[in-house]
Amino acid sequence: MLRERLTIGRRALLAGTAAATVLGHLRAAGARTPGQLIIGMNEEAVNFNPLLYVNTGVETSVEFIVFDAPWKLDPTGSFVPNLATEIPTQANGGISADGKTWTIKLRKDVLWHDGTPFTAADMIFTLDTLLNPKVVVRSRNGHEHVETYKAVDDYTVLIKLKDNFAPYLVSWQKTSVIPKHVLASVPDINTADFNTNPIGTGPFRFKERVAGSYISFTPNEKYHGGKPKLNLLVQKYIADQQTMYAQYQTGEIDIYDINGIPPVLFAKAKQIPQSKTLLSPSPFVEFIYFNCAKPQFQEKVVRQAIYKAVDKKGWIDAVWYGVPVPTLSYLPPNHWAYNKNLEDPGYDPKQAAAMLDAAGWTVGADGVRAKNGVRLAFTMSTTAGNKPREQAQQLVQQNLKKINIEMTIKNMPGSVVWGDYTIKGEYDTLMVAWDPLLYPDPDYTDRIHSKLIPAKGGSGSNYVQYENPEIDDLCAKGVAAVDQAERKKIYDRIQEILLEDVPFAPIFSWQAIMAAHDWVSGYTVNPYTSTNSWNTGDWSVT
Amino acid sequence: MRRYVAARLGQAAVLLLGVSVIGFALMHLAPGGPLALYTLNPTVTAQDIERVKHLFGLDQPVYVQYVKWVYGFLSGHWGYSFFGGRSVAPIVLERIPATLELMGSSLLLALAMGVAIGIWAAVRRNTLVDYGTATVAMLALSLPTFWFGLLAIYVFAQVLGWLPAGGIETTGNGSLIDRLTHLLLPMLVLALVLTAQWSRYTRSAMIDILTQDYIRTARAKGLGPVRVLVGHGLRAALVPLVTLAGLQLPLLVGGALVTETVFSWPGMGLLFISALDNRDYPVLMAILMVGALFVVLGNLAADIAVALIDPRIRLSHV
Amino acid sequence: MSDAVAPGKIAADIVAPPRAYRPGVVRRFVRHRLAVLGVVLIALLGIASVAAPYLAPYDPDEIDIGARYAPPLAENHLLGSDDLGRDVTTRLMYAGRISLSVGVAAMLVTLVVGFAIGAFAAYLGGWVDTVLMRLTDVMLCFPSVFLLLFVAAFVAPSLTSMALMIGLTCWMEIARIVHAQILTLKQADFIAAAEMAGAPAWRIVLRQILPNSLAPILVAATLNTANAILLESYISFLGYGIQPPQASWGNMLTNAQSDFQVDPWLAVFPGLAITLAVASFNFIGDGLRDALDPRLRRR
Repeated sequence: MLRERLTIGRRALLAGTAAATVLGHLRAAGARTPGQLIIGMNEEAVNFNPLLYVNTGVETSVEFIVFDAPWKLDPTGSFVPNLATEIPTQANGGISADGKTWTIKLRKDVLWHDGTPFTAADMIFTLDTLLNPKVVVRSRNGHEHVETYKAVDDYTVLIKLKDNFAPYLVSWQKTSVIPKHVLASVPDINTADFNTNPIGTGPFRFKERVAGSYISFTPNEKYHGGKPKLNLLVQKYIADQQTMYAQYQTGEIDIYDINGIPPVLFAKAKQIPQSKTLLSPSPFVEFIYFNCAKPQFQEKVVRQAIYKAVDKKGWIDAVWYGVPVPTLSYLPPNHWAYNKNLEDPGYDPKQAAAMLDAAGWTVGADGVRAKNGVRLAFTMSTTAGNKPREQAQQLVQQNLKKINIEMTIKNMPGSVVWGDYTIKGEYDTLMVAWDPLLYPDPDYTDRIHSKLIPAKGGSGSNYVQYENPEIDDLCAKGVAAVDQAERKKIYDRIQEILLEDVPFAPIFSWQAIMAAHDWVSGYTVNPYTSTNSWNTGDWSVT
Repeated sequence: MRRYVAARLGQAAVLLLGVSVIGFALMHLAPGGPLALYTLNPTVTAQDIERVKHLFGLDQPVYVQYVKWVYGFLSGHWGYSFFGGRSVAPIVLERIPATLELMGSSLLLALAMGVAIGIWAAVRRNTLVDYGTATVAMLALSLPTFWFGLLAIYVFAQVLGWLPAGGIETTGNGSLIDRLTHLLLPMLVLALVLTAQWSRYTRSAMIDILTQDYIRTARAKGLGPVRVLVGHGLRAALVPLVTLAGLQLPLLVGGALVTETVFSWPGMGLLFISALDNRDYPVLMAILMVGALFVVLGNLAADIAVALIDPRIRLSHV
Repeated sequence: MSDAVAPGKIAADIVAPPRAYRPGVVRRFVRHRLAVLGVVLIALLGIASVAAPYLAPYDPDEIDIGARYAPPLAENHLLGSDDLGRDVTTRLMYAGRISLSVGVAAMLVTLVVGFAIGAFAAYLGGWVDTVLMRLTDVMLCFPSVFLLLFVAAFVAPSLTSMALMIGLTCWMEIARIVHAQILTLKQADFIAAAEMAGAPAWRIVLRQILPNSLAPILVAATLNTANAILLESYISFLGYGIQPPQASWGNMLTNAQSDFQVDPWLAVFPGLAITLAVASFNFIGDGLRDALDPRLRRR
């Protein structure tokens, strides 16, 4: 569900509607293999090493099917023990009073797929690998806060952090454990056979991958969470959304998963017989990203005016058929830390124009506003070929033209836009969706702290180059606070300031349209994980 | 003959070196890079990106990277995919059978149909048949292949429901018939352009030959028209046609790329597109080299075949 | 160098080359009915494109969400409207400006580059010849779509960059034609005469060789235009084409694909426009081949 896919929407093809119905009945009438479930995805998983893969969503799906982390998140946002016996808290002694010492107790009945028992040594090995400078792990998932770690006994791990870091709980939800006995002797983990032939502790064993086609999994009979109900689970890769839609209609695939049904087909999809559509909320928020270092965007009044002049509702309705949920913050509105008191600036081009006039941005002879020789003209970039985004850009372009702002669309291949162009701050504005680093933790330091601007030598993801000492201060307080009510107050204030300063303009929180046929049960959308494959052990077909 | 082959092999090696230099330079000197996918992953920080860049060797000068790549490529280590977590060679090689299946079947079909239509048009020179096939061939060469593919899918998969819309087989059903029904549409679409070209070239070659004296002699001897055409005409036309087969390879490879994309055919073309999107340099270079090798060797094979068929050419080329 | 004292000029005038013009060219061309049809179609498409601002019923970028996906022959929209409610007829006309320009501009690039490389190689000979013609071979090794995509992925798309890209990947055929022609002509008496009269190399190339290789080059150029229009659509299809809101036939087609379920008509018209334009140029090329040089005729 990595929204910012590099892959472009060009493979958009057509689908079989007429054919679909005929074949669909065939399939529904019993052509299905009992106990076999096929889940369709628009992207292909290629690397199955949970620490190395890059493509969040489709590869996370494989991770959840084959591997386990100490705990997982259920659809209500609660942490549920998985490899661990309990969630560490200060109350149960799992976290020390100063928040720096963590004790993780492990289950004793977990077996790797090859029969070897799982122990604390595997946890230690996973941390070793994550922190090994020679291994191309995509992210350290917050484990860079770790100072020392050791196995107290075979089933207890003790970790000391450098600082009090509340989001660390999420770090271990996002870190699946890899087998020491398989990988310790491998000379180079980066190219290990394990990466395409994984051995985990999860509900399913990896069976085979046919490149460009599918990956299949067989049940792990000895799974510690109970024997999975399916006999065979297949993750099928279909490059094109329209073809996938056709195959879903015919029942050739049982679940329409990543990246969801195109919104333009939502109404049609609801009418497919023996099927239900499911809105799958995601942590991703769609933004207009301002490069605050550019002369046009240094004054917050400009950013505020643009936010006000853009018809956010029109955008959601016209491009996305009303599916996504409007948001005023970097968090989705259903998040516990979302500030419900944020005041919606609304859509008001007249007032936006008045604000700009008052600030001295007056309309020049060329019909474009300017102030002190700086024209209010800029480019907006996103991945070329992303059709909904291109539609939205054209709407925004029209909105802004009305208040004499000139916006030019400058889309480029993903590998260009999201490289140095974004990181080094070469862009004017971006249309982009991102979520917090350790979601569902509301910490947003990485994207807003003034010391984390990569264009200025910082080591974070503050691509908007936003600098505000008050925010820096609040971010530090937010991660150090343990009590949720106390944290909520801090994050409420952060969201309030961000809405006032608008370094990025939040538009909506993503919802993908998934669909599952009636014969599937157990498939449940989970807003807190990047894939709905979080509970495949419970899936079944009838 | 041996000297000829050796000389041509030497030329081929130089060609491939040129291809690799141009490809490598284009890739590395242009904006953008493989790390964008990391940027987009919400859990990846700027620190992580710097670390990964160093591990991939992308922080070294381009010529150093190139020398390393050449050395690795020649010694059989094609590097490892930035995203696949394994060596490049198996990633590329596992896609070859699907591509060969599509290209091979299309080529055979195009050959059979193109030659037949070409002979027909040549024999019926300047009649309605000739003009008709010429016009249709020209139209076929003017169609955007992918558009034609889309329309074919629309008609045969969507409206009529006779054939699947894409893929190489129904998951869980790898039967021969299932695979054939999946192959049919992409094969026809890819074969269309090739057939058009083959028919034109065969026609010209046959007309050249049919006006030669020995054909007239054969006719005068009272040989039947089929024996004249096939026994004498086609055999003589073989030389230009085999050369053409070699020259058509780039077209075939390019066409296969587009066709694979339209029909989600899991071959090298599809791999190329995704590697291009991700800027997976080692995979891109490997595909480029395998593709160029295929074209160069194809041309070479065609030339050698021609030399074997017609000894005069061998002499004139050395 | 003034004309009065230029020895090359005098030499060139003394030794009159056999001109490219051959009697009956027009007559032979007109007899090729499909070529004539091609000329008519290109003229129509060209006029519709050039005069789009005066002829088109709408502003090409005017968004009207309320009127999106109107079918052909709908009220106010002859060929329907697209995903943002823009008039398809209007956009087709404006798109023609881009697509035809890319085609012609790319053809010019192939001409200039192909001629330069072919002429230098053949005329100078020696290692220059070897290097340039090997380069031509290298370029021919890449399947053009393959190579083009490769380049397109690394370059920001615009009319100029598209034309340059396509031009720079398709000049090889012209280079080979020019090369072969010059090698043949080099032995011709009138060139030797010009050389003896002291004409500089560039002058001989321009005055003697260009007119003499005109026929095959003209044919190749026409076919290259057709090819360039086709390639523009391929690049768009694979996602690296002209950017919105500007329309080209290729990106209109690409845009239509994801809406095939909703409005299949959107894919039909741009596809037809491409096919018509490409076929027309191909027919014209065929006609020219027949007309300009009967020896080149593929009988």
